[in-house]
Amino acid sequence: MASSAPVTGEIKIPPHVPPELVRKLGITESAEFLAAPHKFMAALHQNCPPIVYSYGDHSPPAWNLLKYDDAYFVLRHPEIFTAEGSGPFPRDPDDYWKIIPLEIEPPEHRKYRALVDPLVSPKAVLALEGSIRRLANELIDSFIGKGGCDFAKEFGRPLPVGVFLDIMALPRDMMDEFVRWAMGLLHAQDKVIAAQVMGEVTQYLNKVIAEKKAQPDAGLVSAIVNGRPGGEEMSARETFGFLFFVWIAGLDTVFATLNHIFLWLAKNPDRRQEIIDTPDNINNVVEELLRVFTVTFSGRTLRQDYELRGVKMKKGDKLTSILPACNYDPEIFPNPEEVNFHRPRKPVLTFAGGAHSCLGAHLARMETKICIQEFLRRIPDFQVKPGTRIEYWPGGVVGPKEVPLVW
Amino acid sequence: MALVTYVRHDGTRHEVDVPVGDTIMQGAINNMVDGIVAECGGGLACATCHCYVDEAWADKAGQPSATESEMLEAAASERKPTSRLSCQINVTDELNGIVVYLPETQF
Repeated sequence: MASSAPVTGEIKIPPHVPPELVRKLGITESAEFLAAPHKFMAALHQNCPPIVYSYGDHSPPAWNLLKYDDAYFVLRHPEIFTAEGSGPFPRDPDDYWKIIPLEIEPPEHRKYRALVDPLVSPKAVLALEGSIRRLANELIDSFIGKGGCDFAKEFGRPLPVGVFLDIMALPRDMMDEFVRWAMGLLHAQDKVIAAQVMGEVTQYLNKVIAEKKAQPDAGLVSAIVNGRPGGEEMSARETFGFLFFVWIAGLDTVFATLNHIFLWLAKNPDRRQEIIDTPDNINNVVEELLRVFTVTFSGRTLRQDYELRGVKMKKGDKLTSILPACNYDPEIFPNPEEVNFHRPRKPVLTFAGGAHSCLGAHLARMETKICIQEFLRRIPDFQVKPGTRIEYWPGGVVGPKEVPLVW
Repeated sequence: MALVTYVRHDGTRHEVDVPVGDTIMQGAINNMVDGIVAECGGGLACATCHCYVDEAWADKAGQPSATESEMLEAAASERKPTSRLSCQINVTDELNGIVVYLPETQF
């Protein structure tokens, strides 16, 4: 995820960065990006060197990696490229907390992941299938008779946030508040709003921490606040950093992904029919749609001087793997803009990779699959409401603001 | 170093010298052997480094732990008697020469 805080002051380009590699690509913020983000990502492979030093009005300068192989390598070598200090959320240096488990490196990292992995393991997620399917159908029941819906608001948001609240063992009536907070932190691109929301979130999460310490349960929040990584008690700051990160990660990514996918489905009736006609191919469908509609980025910092693809980088330099662009790398995915449900399988970088690969990847795949299956089963024929102009959110998670559908 | 032979689903063989102490998974990732994904980086959290240990080597490679076994149940390709997650097999001198077969798909 890219930072949403404005970049202030003069941008200083370090002397080791060749001037011809300095760019202002405009990822997550330029008019060209916001008009058609994934087309923009695909085009980068034609009009941009594979590694550039880019910055924006809201993103500090960093090496931007566009090639699949480069991101794959960087993500799997934490001894060279650390995730420490790369979290995108502004923190008070006098009261600093680490974003956990992202900002802790192996082998320590594993102690923290071990507390939460079992709750979202492939097996745990399989056990959730029935309840996710039920929620999907309840939501569809609420709008199927209307002949249309604002998909983002009435399905794309409540489905993943509802599932997440259940996993966290938090009440579903927190949904609207969570959504407002997520918007403020991820998309407002306004320091004052972000700081105010951060205050509200901090207060709420601290209240939840106290509650779950007093009354532990089987949910994800309780697993974090009562967890003892490697048998050691966590400090209050560690607990907060862990809970905050899992909380924010669960709010916006599947939402954005579903909105992209259903916008595409609405515009492509033949492909909808193809999915309906080949139910056994659903896992390939999900994987391919996750490839073309990747919504996040992955930041690292160099631990040492390093040369990557002929570009000399220095210790302390920041890197961002532009995962949506990497998944359009024509060397790995020939004819990358074609949505092909029979493409030879290559791992997608949608969930990053390596030790810090997305904690919720199995859940996200399952949710995406169920949403496509259930929506197409109940509402096989639909289109974008005529006259709609689709706009995209700026900020670190790429997604359309509204997806009005009619049927 | 121990010699590890990775046989991909299409029959391509990769012979790799893997440092003792690394895992079979790391040997594949560090040498760009296609067929091992290891999405979670060896955390026993994803079942995308699934391999079939050659029967002649299965005893030496050992049995999966309870957690590994549970994870294998959710692997994308069929689980077989010698199925292991390659991130859980540490390379030792004893395993010099081991052959592992990679499944058709990991996800």
